[in-house]
Amino acid sequence: MTVFRLLWRHRALIAVLVRRDLDARYRASVLGFFWSLLNPLLLLAVYAVVFTYIFSPRFPGGDPYPLFLFSGLLPWLFFSGAVLDGSATLIDNGPLLAKVMCPPDLFPAVTVFSHLIHHLLALPILLLAMVVSSAAGLHSFPWSFPLVVVALVPWLLTTGGAVFAISVLSVHYRDMRDLVGHLLNLLFFSSPIIYSLEGLQVPVMLHRVLTLNPLASLVTVYRDAVFVGRVSSPQLWLIAFAVGGVSWWLGTRIFAAYRETVVEAV
Amino acid sequence: MKGTIRFSDVSKIFRWRGPRSRHETVKGALFHRKTHRRKSSSEQHVALDGIDLEVTPGEAVAVIGPNGSGKSTLLKLTGGILKPTSGTVEVAGRVTALIELGAGFHPEITGRENVVINGMLLGLGRREIEDRMQEIVDFADIGPFIDQPVKIYSSGMYVRLGFAVAVAADPDVLLIDEVLAVGDEAFTRRCLDRLARMRQRGVTMVLVSHDLDLVTSFADRALYLDRGRIVAEGPADAVAARYRSDAAGDSIRDDQPLPAREDDDETRWGNGDVEITGVEMFVGEKTSRLVPGGSPCSLHIQYSVHKPVEDFVFGIAWHRSDGTQVSGHNTDLAGFVPRRLATDGEMCCEYDSLQLAPGEYLVDVAVHARNGLAYDYWCDALKVRVTSEVDWPGVWSPPHRWRSTGPEWGKSDEYQRATPKDNDE
Repeated sequence: MTVFRLLWRHRALIAVLVRRDLDARYRASVLGFFWSLLNPLLLLAVYAVVFTYIFSPRFPGGDPYPLFLFSGLLPWLFFSGAVLDGSATLIDNGPLLAKVMCPPDLFPAVTVFSHLIHHLLALPILLLAMVVSSAAGLHSFPWSFPLVVVALVPWLLTTGGAVFAISVLSVHYRDMRDLVGHLLNLLFFSSPIIYSLEGLQVPVMLHRVLTLNPLASLVTVYRDAVFVGRVSSPQLWLIAFAVGGVSWWLGTRIFAAYRETVVEAV
Repeated sequence: MKGTIRFSDVSKIFRWRGPRSRHETVKGALFHRKTHRRKSSSEQHVALDGIDLEVTPGEAVAVIGPNGSGKSTLLKLTGGILKPTSGTVEVAGRVTALIELGAGFHPEITGRENVVINGMLLGLGRREIEDRMQEIVDFADIGPFIDQPVKIYSSGMYVRLGFAVAVAADPDVLLIDEVLAVGDEAFTRRCLDRLARMRQRGVTMVLVSHDLDLVTSFADRALYLDRGRIVAEGPADAVAARYRSDAAGDSIRDDQPLPAREDDDETRWGNGDVEITGVEMFVGEKTSRLVPGGSPCSLHIQYSVHKPVEDFVFGIAWHRSDGTQVSGHNTDLAGFVPRRLATDGEMCCEYDSLQLAPGEYLVDVAVHARNGLAYDYWCDALKVRVTSEVDWPGVWSPPHRWRSTGPEWGKSDEYQRATPKDNDE
């Protein structure tokens, strides 16, 4: 748990670095912070059109499909965005690491936090969408929505672990960055984001594989809270937290194993 | 104690990186695991090999040596940026490294915001940075650019701002890697002045430089590294001379004899009844050849007597390297009446404030009889560098201020700059 202590000790610095990240990202753009809302919305529009009009939905999803999709896509974007940035964070901050004595742990943490903030900024939009569609009578309002705070914990742990591992590995193995994109793609389609696992008509083997995907439990738990409007089964919660815990533990272990040589390798 | 640096038996070994490294790619890691494990020595580079070093608080140590001798590695180990492969490095107090100034700036955000981040990385609290912001902005002197994104800065502005933040961090130990070589002349002068004042305040300094003149004027002690080992260690003059002769020996093998040491040609003469054994400049409590303009300092002359004399005068003459006489004073003019000089000892001349314009000065010291017969006359016994923030022309730089009643001025700080800060820091 020394990582927690380290991050806590440098919380002020992390806060400043996260602000820098957010500031720098939107500094020169006209819409500024609105991009963190616009990005998921645009992506949502694309997926919604493609999967409702072009491919007729052979797979079961919730109704209305765009909202079902949105509630799965949002945490995924948090995860994949952080992992993608994480693969570059230490390399980008290399000059800083080579110049001042600061723990390299800060940079993956900053990446995770700034993506978490993007995610939190998008949550009101999700809530608004739920309110509007339930007011229009499309579905009943998910009263379990506040549980999203709990559902985010395993997401945060999983993302944290993955980012820690990827950041340090991509310093030592430069082809990691290319690999990460493909892995994320694979993970996206094998996670129940654009479809639901319940009643999915696929060969049994494939179904089993899809259920084994560690992210499946996280996606389902999150979506149950914000869209379906039910509390997932305790087993599912347990699995989700276990996935988060294992990912965090593994990620920080990998980071610790390579951290001494980061400065030399960068 | 804050400001102490201690290396005990420190080695640093780098594994080869770059295209030759098998471990560079995942494929390499997967398929060459075995070869990698059997680390042969050809895949390693020993950057430092068994270094022992102790630096006491307030000392200024220079590290010299050819490229690739491990100087920067030593600096980075001191800064905690790298970890030693074996041995221990202990550094007490806050360390700031002036390495690649401004390298950590983020291009998209403003200079001011970068100062906050950089300052926090250097260990300052947010409040402290806000308190020092004005000082930093003033020193960097980049005008309205401070509120512009760093990406539009010129490289000079980058370095100025980087230096300003780094020295504002108020370190106990300051590590300097060739940074004085990068700025323009005015900037270099101001940096040097700032460093001289920090030295006076007792900040421990480790300097890496190829500028041997700077090394001898700046450092008390020098460390000569070659291929990761200490070749020579001792007073900066002697070590620099050794390095110079080694370097010359490398390049001109079929050599004309090296220029003789200054003390055995016609820059020194006398009958030897009294011999000057050492000359040192003291700034504060410490010896230094770097004097911030306007500081109090003193010149100490050690002598030994081979034959007692009854007629003697101690004298000091200051001149510039172009031969311009600056000042001369001796005990006779000061009203001392000699009686007998029979035992070894020391004479000391104190200056309340060295009101010299920035630049290099040479000091002659002498012991002679009143009729001019020299016992020991030593020209250019000491080379002193006086620093100042402003490049005052001439040789005399008295504290002064302008009072203005008539004309209007665009900037009020001209008034302030005209007053050389005496040792206020």
